[in-house]
Amino acid sequence: MSFLEYMLQQTINALSIGSLYALMAIGLAMVFGILRLINFAHGDMMMVASYSALALLLAGLPYWVVVPIVVLITAFAGILMERFAYRPIRGAPDVAMLLTSFAVTIILENSVVMMIGARSRPFPVPEFLRAVYHYGNVTVASVNVVAIIATAILLVLLTLFVTRTDIGISMRAAADDMTAAQLMGIPINRVIAAAFAIGSGLAAVAGLLWTAKVGKVDPYMGFFPVLKAFVAAVIGGFGTIPGAVLGGFVLGSLEISLQGLLPGQWSSYRDALVFGILIVVLLVRPNGILGARAREEI
Amino acid sequence: MDGIGTRPETKAPDWRRVAAIATPLLLLSLLPLYATFGASAYEQRVIIVLGIDIMLVLSLNLFNGFTGVFSLGHVGFMALGAYGSAILSMPVAHKAINLPELPAWLAGVELGFLPSILTAGLLAAVVAVVIGLPVLRLSGHYVAVATLSFLVIVRVVLINATPFTRGSRTFFGTPAYTSVWWVYAWVLITIYIAWRILRSPYGRAMLAQREDRVAALAVGVNVLRTRMLPFVLSAFLTAVAGALWGHYILSFSPNAFYFTETFAIITMLVVGGMGSISGSVVGTVLIVLLTETLRELERGFDLGFVQVPPLYGLSQILMAVAFISVLIFRREGLLGNTEINFMRLFSKRERTADKNE
Amino acid sequence: MKTKALMLGTVLALGALGTLASAQAAETIKIGGAFNLTGELSSLDVPAANGAKLALKEINAAGGVNGKKVELIMRDGKTDPATVANITTQLIESDKVLAIIGFTDSDSALAAGPLCQRAGIPFITAGATSPKLPAQVGNMMFLAPFGDNVQAAVGAEFAVKNFGKSAYLLWDKGTEYTTLLADYFKKRFAELGGTLVLEDTYQFGDKDFSAQIAKVKSLPKQPDFYYISAMPDDIGTTVKQFREAGITGPIVGGDGYDTPLLVQVAGAAADNTYFTTHALMDADNGSPAVKKFMAAYKAEFGHEVENAFAALGYDTMRLIVDAVRRAGSNDGKAIAKAIEATQGFPGVAGELNYSASAHVPRKGVTMIAVKGGKFTLGAEMVPEKVPAP
Repeated sequence: MSFLEYMLQQTINALSIGSLYALMAIGLAMVFGILRLINFAHGDMMMVASYSALALLLAGLPYWVVVPIVVLITAFAGILMERFAYRPIRGAPDVAMLLTSFAVTIILENSVVMMIGARSRPFPVPEFLRAVYHYGNVTVASVNVVAIIATAILLVLLTLFVTRTDIGISMRAAADDMTAAQLMGIPINRVIAAAFAIGSGLAAVAGLLWTAKVGKVDPYMGFFPVLKAFVAAVIGGFGTIPGAVLGGFVLGSLEISLQGLLPGQWSSYRDALVFGILIVVLLVRPNGILGARAREEI
Repeated sequence: MDGIGTRPETKAPDWRRVAAIATPLLLLSLLPLYATFGASAYEQRVIIVLGIDIMLVLSLNLFNGFTGVFSLGHVGFMALGAYGSAILSMPVAHKAINLPELPAWLAGVELGFLPSILTAGLLAAVVAVVIGLPVLRLSGHYVAVATLSFLVIVRVVLINATPFTRGSRTFFGTPAYTSVWWVYAWVLITIYIAWRILRSPYGRAMLAQREDRVAALAVGVNVLRTRMLPFVLSAFLTAVAGALWGHYILSFSPNAFYFTETFAIITMLVVGGMGSISGSVVGTVLIVLLTETLRELERGFDLGFVQVPPLYGLSQILMAVAFISVLIFRREGLLGNTEINFMRLFSKRERTADKNE
Repeated sequence: MKTKALMLGTVLALGALGTLASAQAAETIKIGGAFNLTGELSSLDVPAANGAKLALKEINAAGGVNGKKVELIMRDGKTDPATVANITTQLIESDKVLAIIGFTDSDSALAAGPLCQRAGIPFITAGATSPKLPAQVGNMMFLAPFGDNVQAAVGAEFAVKNFGKSAYLLWDKGTEYTTLLADYFKKRFAELGGTLVLEDTYQFGDKDFSAQIAKVKSLPKQPDFYYISAMPDDIGTTVKQFREAGITGPIVGGDGYDTPLLVQVAGAAADNTYFTTHALMDADNGSPAVKKFMAAYKAEFGHEVENAFAALGYDTMRLIVDAVRRAGSNDGKAIAKAIEATQGFPGVAGELNYSASAHVPRKGVTMIAVKGGKFTLGAEMVPEKVPAP
């Protein structure tokens, strides 16, 4: 494989994993922007989506029908999560909310363990997502192409949403200044519910793509992606959607390059390096690349 | 403020003070006493684990509760304690079989129980200084996130430092040194340290900066320095607790030092009340008893008239629900900032509501 | 105060309920069943536990041991070494078992073993294959299956004979089993004159192999076969991604492949895969013992047997009960001696022989070839030479 082909291959790998991180990170960013809540249970939205899809596919529904249904189910799950776990503690200190999101994660994951079982289950990935295209020595898995295209389309739609629709604009207002937004008469509960719904819907798409790559589902599958999505969101600019997207691709590229650059022995320290970089970012530019310069936080 | 203003009769007679201090200590020592004389094997285990958990929660409280800053990475120090002490104390012959790739300077070392745990604790303290210098300047969720990153970094290192830790494979062969008396001796030490820190001028500075950072800064309290000592101390104690645990359970892997354990300790801390020493003890006892009972029930049981199937995961769910409930309904935990007032038992003449600071 | 009283009351009530739950039974022969019923190893441990339960039923139906019923006390290790250590202690100290059987992976065996050794309780692992275990744990440790050095040798010999002398090696550095298997493979392969064109690793639980695949694809010439040392939960994903990337050569591995997940997750990509395991569970082509076992298993549990580990669990349970019977006492050391004296014990997954110096049985290895989405018999082999443990 020539150097050019190698670089092309790695770029595609980075873009595709970056897309998944971006999709996940947006959901985190939207909720953080408005509520200052770091929602670790976001990863379980991926899991809910994948298990719902599995159930529907096993029931015989075609994939094209399953995808929108699953997105709706997951969005609804996000709304429920907000209503019962987060609304009662709204206004609590940031750390209390973060810990609550851990508790929600545990409840969701163990509910699946209890009711369905802890074992991985194979996921019937549809043909069009299994196809692999070869161009010379470069391999492009269709699932990666779909990931990149889907992310692009969703981003466009999302941007239109937050700039053109009432709810979208209200969301940005609430993220900017919650009190002022409320004073302006914005229905804050509805806006927050919408943020959770959209974030969870995006997580559903990310979840389906992720499952297509991996081929199976298990109750803890969302844990690691949400951790990565979180790093992505923070690095890119926590609380902003463009920041989350940028962070996703930055993280994807960082991971792939570290994997390639680090000599064999050390490549597995990649994750430690990523989190080390996160700490540095928190120290130097806590609001991320795109975030505003932070005021001295007291 | 102490000593200022009119306050009727503050100093109770000497024997009353002694009794007030001795009572909780006596109550606490009931546990190891029972474990040694009369408890079943199962109860012995629960008592040992209870003691280690109390120590973990208290060490965390020492930092979180009193400074108001949340560290989510403390279990990383626990890991350093467990692995460190295990490696140092393992007989040289066993090290050759179990950890063949250990570097020469470590392979020949074999320390006793106390030197091992103290050394491991010191290692954790040093790491705490290194981590603390950058991270303790942050606040709110930034520091929570930064310490969470520390937890992940420790995990990655544990998984990859195979010559020392066997990576994610089972670490076995730890000498079985932990006994219930060792554990409760350390619990007492931890309680003492927490108590002294809280009552010292240093402790007052800690609480001041927790209540109102701006005012504290205005008065000249150095925020970083006030946070550093409790951080390092709590790291040391957490590592010792981890070492005690390692020498008790004998086999473990990096999995034991990650989110599950972190959340368990935090639940005990929050339920008991951050900023209260007796709260930590009470919260831990409650949660540990609850968990043990639930875990037994999880396996499914036969009530004679109905067969309840295994419901794995139920204990975790109920713990998480309990946690959220506390946050919603009684955010300060069971005891909040106050301590169980043993003085009340002995003071006949009660007038003013004795408010602790 | 009221809240505290309420909480205390609840805890006490639950405690009472809990004690009720673990009420004692009449005098029985208590055997501890320690398995990872949940977690990453459950696809191997659950069938093994089922096999043991089936054996228990048959033993008790035949009258138990000298008239006494046998009891199998199951506890879940959750594929976590600390939990494994916990339940092992519980089995030994609270349930007071005479011996413990269980686990299909070496990491769990390492967590449970030392505790059994300390208590003088024999421990037979149903499926952990590390031949180092007896040396690492002590004389209470026994294996029911063959050792990894044996199956790696067979893997190397089979692959060299059928595919060629150049290979790619990928191994999971996160578990005891995969690390040892890869190591023994390398040794035997080198002895046979093979060359490794590339060696790579991944971490247990990794879901994305694009980095490793990219390195393989960039090789100037593809090797004759690919030896992948993997755990059951990962192998399906690995094979799927490798094949999707266009790697068509034969993939060879160990008994970690013996899981329904391989074909379920990888689908048609699982074809042209070969692995060493303990027996072929085939109702048409298996041995008479296998056929009988498969029928009984299906009758008891209502579905087909999943893999050879069910047979191993079955054999292990029968072995320990037989040893208890021969020992004629409840003493751990006597039972261990009885196990050591076992000769020619007929097992569904092969004959079991032990001695004072051999706690790992010398068994033949079954090589399975995946064809058309099904497990078929590739070969039954005994290795010509075995690397030292």
